[in-house]
Amino acid sequence: MSALRWGRGASGLRRALWPAGPPGPLAEEGALSGVWGRRRSLSASPCEQDRRKDWGHAELLEVLEARLRQLQAARVSEVTVRRPRPARLPDAGGFQPRRKAQKGGEGTAPGLGGHWAQKLDQEKWAMQRRKQRLQAKLQVRAQQLACEHRLRMVPQLLSAPLAERLLRWEQETPRSPWEEQLARLLREAPRRLSCEAERAHEAGGAPARLETQQQRLLAFLECCLLSGHLPLAHHVLVTCHGKWRQRRVLTLAAYNTVMLGWARKGSFKELVYVFFMVKDAGLTPDLLSYAAALQCMGRLDQDARTVQRCLDQMAQDGLRLQDLFSSVPLCQEEQAALLQAVHKAQPTFSPPLQPQPEPQVNTSPLLREIYAKGPVSYLPSCTCLCGSCRLLFQQQLQEMATTVTVESRRRSCLTKEVLARCEQLSAESQLLGGRAGCGPGSSPWVAHRQERRGGPRPGGGGGGRRAGLRPPAPDPLPCPQVAVPCLPRQYWETLGAPEVPHEQPWPLPVLVQLGKRLAEMLVEVVRMPGSLAAPQGSCSLIPVLYHVYSFRSFRQIGILKPHPAFTQLLATAAEHTLTFEAAEVPMLCPPLPWTSPHTGAFLLSPTKLVRSVEGTTQHQRLLDSCPPAELHGALDALTQLGNCAWRVNGRVLDLVLELFAAKGCPRLGVPAPPSEAPRPPEGRLPPDASPAQKAELRRELARCLKVAREMHSLRSDALYRLSLAQHLRHCVFWLPHNMDFRGRTYPCPPHFNHLGSDLARALLEFAQGRPLGPRGLDWLKIHLVNLTGLKKREPLQARLVFADEVMEDVLDSADRPMTGRKWWMEVEEPWQALACCMEIARAVRAPDPAAYISHFPVHQDGSCNGLQHYAALGRDSIGAASVNLLPSDVPQDVYSGVAAQVEVFRRQDAKRGVRVAQVLEGFISRKVVKQTVMTVVYGVTRYGGRLQIERRLRELSDFPQEFVWEASHYLVRQVFNSLQEMFSGTRAIQHWLTESARLIAHSGSAVEWVTPLGIPIIQPYHRDSKVMISGGIQSLTFSHSGDTSQRPNTLKQKNGFPPNFIHSLDSSHMMLTALHCYRKGLTFVSVHDCFWTHAADVEVMNQVCREQFVRLHSQPILHNLSRFLMKRFCSGARFSAPSPSLQDTLRSVPKTGRARHPARFLRAGGAGGVAQGPAARSPPGPLLHRGLRPEAGEALHLLLQLTLPRRPPCTIV
Amino acid sequence: MSVPRLMLSSLAGAGRFCVLGSGAARWKSVRAWNRRGLSDLHPQLSPSQGFRDSPSWMPKNRSEPRSYITNPKLATTLVQILQKENRNRHQLFLECNPGPGILTQALLESQAKVIALECNRTFLPHLQSLQTKVTRKLEVVHCDFFKLDPRNSGIVKPPIMLSETLFQNLGIEALPWSEDNPLRVVGIFPAKNEKKILWKLLYDLYSSTSIYSYGRVQLNMFIAEKEYEKLVADPQNNLYQPLSVLWQVACEIKLLHVEPWSSFSVYNQVGGPKKSKNKESLEQINKQNMCFIQLTPLQNLFTENLTSVNYDIFFHMLKQCFMKRHATLMDHLQSLSPVNAVAILKEIEKDGDMKITDLYPEDFKLLFETIESFRESCRWLFDDSLEDIIL
Repeated sequence: MSALRWGRGASGLRRALWPAGPPGPLAEEGALSGVWGRRRSLSASPCEQDRRKDWGHAELLEVLEARLRQLQAARVSEVTVRRPRPARLPDAGGFQPRRKAQKGGEGTAPGLGGHWAQKLDQEKWAMQRRKQRLQAKLQVRAQQLACEHRLRMVPQLLSAPLAERLLRWEQETPRSPWEEQLARLLREAPRRLSCEAERAHEAGGAPARLETQQQRLLAFLECCLLSGHLPLAHHVLVTCHGKWRQRRVLTLAAYNTVMLGWARKGSFKELVYVFFMVKDAGLTPDLLSYAAALQCMGRLDQDARTVQRCLDQMAQDGLRLQDLFSSVPLCQEEQAALLQAVHKAQPTFSPPLQPQPEPQVNTSPLLREIYAKGPVSYLPSCTCLCGSCRLLFQQQLQEMATTVTVESRRRSCLTKEVLARCEQLSAESQLLGGRAGCGPGSSPWVAHRQERRGGPRPGGGGGGRRAGLRPPAPDPLPCPQVAVPCLPRQYWETLGAPEVPHEQPWPLPVLVQLGKRLAEMLVEVVRMPGSLAAPQGSCSLIPVLYHVYSFRSFRQIGILKPHPAFTQLLATAAEHTLTFEAAEVPMLCPPLPWTSPHTGAFLLSPTKLVRSVEGTTQHQRLLDSCPPAELHGALDALTQLGNCAWRVNGRVLDLVLELFAAKGCPRLGVPAPPSEAPRPPEGRLPPDASPAQKAELRRELARCLKVAREMHSLRSDALYRLSLAQHLRHCVFWLPHNMDFRGRTYPCPPHFNHLGSDLARALLEFAQGRPLGPRGLDWLKIHLVNLTGLKKREPLQARLVFADEVMEDVLDSADRPMTGRKWWMEVEEPWQALACCMEIARAVRAPDPAAYISHFPVHQDGSCNGLQHYAALGRDSIGAASVNLLPSDVPQDVYSGVAAQVEVFRRQDAKRGVRVAQVLEGFISRKVVKQTVMTVVYGVTRYGGRLQIERRLRELSDFPQEFVWEASHYLVRQVFNSLQEMFSGTRAIQHWLTESARLIAHSGSAVEWVTPLGIPIIQPYHRDSKVMISGGIQSLTFSHSGDTSQRPNTLKQKNGFPPNFIHSLDSSHMMLTALHCYRKGLTFVSVHDCFWTHAADVEVMNQVCREQFVRLHSQPILHNLSRFLMKRFCSGARFSAPSPSLQDTLRSVPKTGRARHPARFLRAGGAGGVAQGPAARSPPGPLLHRGLRPEAGEALHLLLQLTLPRRPPCTIV
Repeated sequence: MSVPRLMLSSLAGAGRFCVLGSGAARWKSVRAWNRRGLSDLHPQLSPSQGFRDSPSWMPKNRSEPRSYITNPKLATTLVQILQKENRNRHQLFLECNPGPGILTQALLESQAKVIALECNRTFLPHLQSLQTKVTRKLEVVHCDFFKLDPRNSGIVKPPIMLSETLFQNLGIEALPWSEDNPLRVVGIFPAKNEKKILWKLLYDLYSSTSIYSYGRVQLNMFIAEKEYEKLVADPQNNLYQPLSVLWQVACEIKLLHVEPWSSFSVYNQVGGPKKSKNKESLEQINKQNMCFIQLTPLQNLFTENLTSVNYDIFFHMLKQCFMKRHATLMDHLQSLSPVNAVAILKEIEKDGDMKITDLYPEDFKLLFETIESFRESCRWLFDDSLEDIIL
């Protein structure tokens, strides 16, 4: 729909692209137009408004002046009229009087001349009066205009007595000092917060639109402050304040911001003006206001009395002086000014030292052991790896430059000429102020940052987050010297690092508008010479970026495209460096421990604990309102995952780079260079070619284009990864972690981490080595067999035997990977297998394999993890057995189980003469049902399931294709029935969860719950809210599904709840395992349900994993959930009349104990498994068959696809 | 219309089908000859054709209302028009959705050969009974002409067919583009998605695929007057749009006949809940006329620079030009092509300051061909036109 509005935007395109006038100082222009825009209406396009307004004034003036001239002319005419020649009247002006005059002349006798004259006099008098009035009006108008252009300083107050007082004070300025006024104002300040605001706050935020406007204004004011446009900010404040309708958008924070600005400048008068307005608005000054006032006094060196009065007032308001120093973010200089003022009144006052907060203890029963005091053997410190942590910390300060430049691994094909030119260019740029290659010291950013240190910051993405740098902290990891070993977070807390107020994200519309403006500027400004061959200066400049459209069906999408010549230029120049955001590169020092939802991971780059779609604030809000101790489990687990030190597997990297530089190898996951892309057939078709030939050519072209594009994106992805790997080749690095809203953990650096493909994983190994120990080599071998995917259904012993059988191939692969028999290339995960082969070869050849120091991570995968949790929740014995939750000699395979069950149903139906069932004979295999079974846990519907099965059936060459639809329909029904049969409890739980979510969403709330570890979770699925930003280059619409002011999206809430709940359990289990492994001194990382550790520690990890699974499911998880939901959604003032069906549903937790007593059921598996100990004879852990790896990669991908919160569909229309 | 309609309903029994259109209240507004014509319809529906027992040609389970020619008078007029300019009286007609077959019969009577493509199963028995009467002159195929050759390569099962199979079965040979038209299509554009179908036909035409791979197939179609106006719009008209340009460049468009909407019968699904809504929309349609137009592809459509390989760039160019209707030609040239705009302007002899929508269809074609004729490696700034998907 909005596409229709393009025309308007487009018409202004040329104007936008080629500005007519000389480019003005952009910043100021922008700021000013911002003022006009805001003052009129917050959503209007600023530039246009501005112009229109000015235009309006000019026009008005012109009209008025014209009128004046006219009237003067009329007066002349009157003079002539007075002469006894009434018939002749000049044409100009005075229409009305002339008419009357004539009338008079005709209608009355000449003898009545006196009356005539009288009338004329009257007319004249009226005329003069009118003229005077007009002139006065004009004058006022002109004054007003002048006023408009001057920034307003004096507030317009709505409260009459207040306004009067202000006026009086202003006139009496010399006699009565402003501070008197301030004191009085403070005393009289209303004792109540605006109660509406309070109520709104309780209800979970004011109406979103108002909130957005408030935030936008606040952001503007802060920007003004930072860019030195304080008078402008003041002006805006005054204007908004003066208009009743706009006053709603002003919050105390807005007043405080401007106040702080004046305080920093030491302008007392203006400060008092703002105080007047605060009072007028009926707000109570808070700590920030007082801090500003006192700071200002400190700077002005006011006398003690004033300060004392201010302090007294503060005390009366119940604000503590100490809090000024502890909870108001101030930079040192500001603090000094503040202190100076306070010392005037209270010379003995000293700012309080950070009070040591009482260490809060997590109370979750699952975490009791973790936080219990006692003998622990934490992971050894990283200092043993690479010297001083201080040094690493210094290195990591590369973040100050906000970007990291990495040498690209693109195959360089630079000609000499290009190289020479490059050198020349870099030399030139160094001459230009040495900006190129700026180190942290010379970076312009640093200065900027230091300047901004301390003050409240406008939020948003890139800005420096932390107030000032902490002094290089002592080793954040527990060192042997520390008496009582404790967790990194605890250690960090004892250091007493100040908690910096976190930044508020900018509202989405503001962000989009800003982005759009920037994009427009890019299009306007970036130019290149029209012809590169011509000597510089002689040819015209052409724009580099173009705004074109793409047409998808009936939708249109605007695209910014580079000029082809520019693309070509880039290709020729073969830029040999890549620039990454600092937060996209792994860290060179251990990440900061997570101490709160806002603090952790990178040193300077802002990182959120919970990653979410841009613009969703509910997760953050929920975490903020949660008692800090509740989050300890998650914080510590994430810290621990991030504390694993990594290094690059150099040998694998060499091999990959070699392939990458050559022609790539798509089969091995090394993307080919663009030169390998299929070329469309050359040359034009002969003119007499048949239409069929032409159509064929078109198809071929389209195919080539598509393949080339796919190759390009794959290639770029690999390029980033390999360049980063090469960059970090000789370093130890860390991957800080955060989590999604369900608690699943992810490494923050996106390009190079252990979560990626086979190739990505093979490039990484632990930086810390561990001797293999007695069983380590066996685990390496088993791991290798797992990676080949060859012996999926064999017990571990058989796998070990197989590994020994192929040992020759393994050694050959390790020694001559590219020239030998290439055994490794044929297996399922070739690169990891190759890395494993090399590790085995080294270990085997070591004099004592048990003492060989291995850095190699060994993986243990869960078998259909979601079903495991369901089976455990529902105590389904059959189901539990099929997902290896019960002891068994041979690994079970749930997919085969389901296939067998489906086959049973099919045979019955076939006997009954069902046609489809007969056709399907011999076609029901594990493969056909697998995907559906796997995804059922994640909420696949019959519809989706049918599509999956249809795809599988189409792959079967001998299956009669005309039956595909019918057969897939039939099969999906049978798969669901079979699952129902095997996992009866599972289905009941799924149903219960779905139904609860549906009813909760119906009642108008998003579903919330708390994981067993205490992480609060809320589903961010709401009806789409569309934001449209029109004007400029084109209109922009984006829809956003995370807007809490919209009603929840019932379908998504309902379908999302079961899988999200299971994921939250899964992540809880992973975190528990991580924490316990850490306590036992193991290296532990995870890829969701795939756990990694050293070969020597696999058994310990398996044991911990099983124990924790049992522990987790010994909790009454579903009952806890039910209780929580009842409390949250059926009680309290908001839900005065909860629907009875919701209550009933929430209360009726599905019955679980179909098998045996829960504890016994689980214990039977768990204890048995653990008791077997580290024997290689049989699979070691029957409870959780972590030794199996049923297509972990595939499952993982699937999970990621299915469940990762999707990016907001940001359509540019 | 109303009288026979009421009879129809009563004949067909309760709720078997629902006939929409002008109600009894509109009776007086229907012109006299029309009334008579409709009364003439009655014998067609006489019980002698077994209509009362089994309303075999009445549609069922179709939510999409379709209009049909049920007026013999109109049919005769049409046949006269069609045969007037026809040298070959035995020419092949392809009739889309003949429905009750009134026009089919008229065509057959005029010695023409007819292939009836009917997408509605319920009409088939009736049409096939016609076929038995006139052997070798009529072929009836269960096929939806407007859904031939689905672009998304979806399921192909009747009534959706591939033109290749269809024409092969019918034994129709492809003629080169330079020859006369191999066959003439007669029918009515479905009211609901005229625009989509017009676009689909354009893609087929410019790429010489689907029916157009058999030569310059001529379309003789009824189209709503509003759509017709769009087709023939020119720069002075604000209906001027890419669709107009593309059709005018590709075809000779002739208006053969105008007929009020009320002469057509509309059949719809059995008393569905949407009845009233449909009625409203039909009321609106009722007010307009239907235009019988002839679209004959031009022999000189394809040139050295506009071929069925690069036509999509032409499409994209037009869409983008009309996106920014009020911008000037110069602006557009800047964002269309990296080729020097001044050189292009010189070549097409136009002024850069003119509005883009002031260009006539042939100017657009010239512009495209000019840019294409430049021998630069990169002639266009957009390169993803291949991905443009319509339908």
